Amino acid sequence: MLADLVQNSLDGLAAGAAYALLALGFTLIFGVLRRANLSYGPAIMFGCYAAALTHQHFGAGLFMLALVTIAGAVLAGAYVERLCFAPHREGSAIAAMVASFALWMQFEELAALVLPGHLYAFPMLHEGAPLALGAFTFRIDALVLLAVAILVCASLWWMLYRSRFGLAVRAVIEQPTAASLAGINVPRVLVRVFALASAIGGVAGYLVVASNGQITPMLGMWATLKGLLAMMLGGLGSLPGAVLGGLALGLIEAHSQWYLGPQMRDLIAYLLLFVLLAARVPWMTSRSAS
Amino acid sequence: MSLLAVEDVVTAYGKIEALKGVSLEVAEGTITCLLGPNGAGKTTLMMTIAGILKPRRGRVLLGGTDIAGQAPHAIVARGIALVPENRLVFPAMTVLENLQAGAFQRRDKAAVAEDVERMFTRFPRLKERHAQQAGTLSGGEQQMLAVARALMSRPRLLLMDEPSLGLAPLVVEEIFRIIAELHRDGTTIFLVEQNAHMALKVAQHFFLIEQGKVTFSGDPGALAEDEVIRRAYLGSAQQ
Amino acid sequence: MDDFALGVLTNIGLFSFLALSAYLLLVAGEMSFGQQAFFGIGAYAGGMLTALYGWPLPLAALAAMALGGLAQLLVGLPTLRLRGLTFAMATLAAAEMFRILFELFHWRVERGGELAGPDGTQGFRGIRWIFEHGIEPADYLLLVYALLAAVLALLLWMERSRLGAALRGVGLDPELAASVGIDVRRVKLGVAAAAGALAALGGVLFAHHNTYVEPRNFDIMLGVHSLAYALIGGLGTALGPLLGVALDIGLLESTQYFHGYRMIVFGGLVAVLLVFRPRGLLDERMVTWIRQRFS
Repeated sequence: MLADLVQNSLDGLAAGAAYALLALGFTLIFGVLRRANLSYGPAIMFGCYAAALTHQHFGAGLFMLALVTIAGAVLAGAYVERLCFAPHREGSAIAAMVASFALWMQFEELAALVLPGHLYAFPMLHEGAPLALGAFTFRIDALVLLAVAILVCASLWWMLYRSRFGLAVRAVIEQPTAASLAGINVPRVLVRVFALASAIGGVAGYLVVASNGQITPMLGMWATLKGLLAMMLGGLGSLPGAVLGGLALGLIEAHSQWYLGPQMRDLIAYLLLFVLLAARVPWMTSRSAS
Repeated sequence: MSLLAVEDVVTAYGKIEALKGVSLEVAEGTITCLLGPNGAGKTTLMMTIAGILKPRRGRVLLGGTDIAGQAPHAIVARGIALVPENRLVFPAMTVLENLQAGAFQRRDKAAVAEDVERMFTRFPRLKERHAQQAGTLSGGEQQMLAVARALMSRPRLLLMDEPSLGLAPLVVEEIFRIIAELHRDGTTIFLVEQNAHMALKVAQHFFLIEQGKVTFSGDPGALAEDEVIRRAYLGSAQQ
Repeated sequence: MDDFALGVLTNIGLFSFLALSAYLLLVAGEMSFGQQAFFGIGAYAGGMLTALYGWPLPLAALAAMALGGLAQLLVGLPTLRLRGLTFAMATLAAAEMFRILFELFHWRVERGGELAGPDGTQGFRGIRWIFEHGIEPADYLLLVYALLAAVLALLLWMERSRLGAALRGVGLDPELAASVGIDVRRVKLGVAAAAGALAALGGVLFAHHNTYVEPRNFDIMLGVHSLAYALIGGLGTALGPLLGVALDIGLLESTQYFHGYRMIVFGGLVAVLLVFRPRGLLDERMVTWIRQRFS
């Protein structure tokens, strides 16, 4: 019993690390733009498909594929930013969101065009047996995922709280008008944050795809839904909250799947979100904006 | 020559013109004050000069160069800093970080550090609370922080939008003492105020704005104070 | 008219109910990601009543509408105080719960010697009321559009009434609306119930048109599509969502011209359209302009 609990928690943490990265990207974009980017997951999928194609044609190595994924996600993110968010910066949040949904449709069809099958193999991070330590097993790819997630979080923290760019980002998140009055080029910060968030999403997408060893067109919707869910659980707009929300989601899913099955796993995650929102727990509604 | 010259500026929200051709000048080294009733267009003018709002027509000259329609950060680079209405400090950042944000465009780290010390000398309360989140400060302290943040960009012209708004009388007096001090040290100040009595005590020149147009301009003695106050609060009768 | 054209037109009519339900909430200032759930509730409830218990379709539709309205009212009670993205996510969570409940829902009863009824992820087959009663596809098309016309007439009448003004007021500025004596919460709950009932009506008609539904029909894609329909068509009039549905299904399904690229073309068009018309083609300004020209 106890062994299951510990093993499930370890697996949940690894999945939660990926969710945390997705939620961080969502939260960065929401923080500076006050808008939800539904195309966040599909843009990540675009990067992963670019890597899958590169692998098919050139057989590139793991590191190269990671770079291609990140570059693809940033490129797709730039396209989304130009077409959906730059034009609606002072206008309608709903229009920006629906526009990002329209581009989601584009990315899905593009994926189907370049790789028409339902499922493609993707080179695994690690093919060997998991690491056994006493009663517990550690999947190597899960350990890599955790380590990279910790590294990304630490770098992001350093950038936000120790660098000049980070000062500008926090100023824009807190008070965009005052930020521009302090001499910060707000549109430029927005574009850079969008690119940064897309790159973090690319890292998450690559790690997930390379851990699973396969890629499907469902990746886009999966990444958007998990990222949104983790961001909301952690309290809309808070970066530490996004990390906690992601880890919590991973743990909840791992345990409920083990004890109750995959359908109950999803049901419980949504039920939790609904109850927390309906109860208006303080950390979830304090920074909510339309 | 005047440091700032606003020429026939029209700024509109959709179809509604909030400024209907405003012209005025601020001479170098003075405190110039803009008075007028609520909704007359005072904040709109400040936001237009600072670049947050784009004028539909007209020119904004700083030292002879037209800056109308430029982005706010470009206008800061040219030497204008606005202390906005309601202060707008960065609430979750520390006092020190707020000051550093104000010096965002300056790359001279040593001089910025010196200026931070200078602000702490001028505003000792900020020094005491330098590591505290700005959102936890009192209204008066936040106002001082907003002024200090604006000064951190070393502006040629300091715009202040209603610095006394919502503050207790004693704090208002302190704010005006600071304004007089800044002026004595050579800062040019363009001030929007509801508190006409206090403003006229420190200003060398003032303008009255009513319904988007400048309706009077003169020295503080040019119009009886009760007449100024009446028009600043109520607008003139003949309109 | 061939069967394909009939199918496309019927689908435009069916999904118009869903788009109208998203539209009603948008006008009241709330963005829902979850209207697909009430469409699904209507489909399951209406299908079960006719296929398993032999109810006539009109009666089953009324019952399904009542259930859909009640369901959205119950979801709305604790969530309508939320604003913006938090409300949208609460509705999404509710809708995904309903979708998973459909996956877990097994209700097999014996009908004519075999088991029929919802069977979890296997879906719900044999909703054959319109075939058993000899209703031709063309007749069903007429039925769908007659109902749609009735709903539209009701909505257009409402928009010109005091209720419509209250609704737009609540959507544009709830504080102001409250200050002039509008009970914002009651208006929103009323809108939620109406939106749920409308979506459920669309669902009943969808189930009987398709004869088969499965939980996957009611996923987030359908919900965001209905939101997009309402916004593309325009938030100025109840005719807007219909235009949105017609543009999407009509243009895309009927033109095989862009085969393989159609979502790329259409997605790009929608994004560009929203740059120039962020409240849709038939927005408030366009509606006013048309009224002035033609009255």
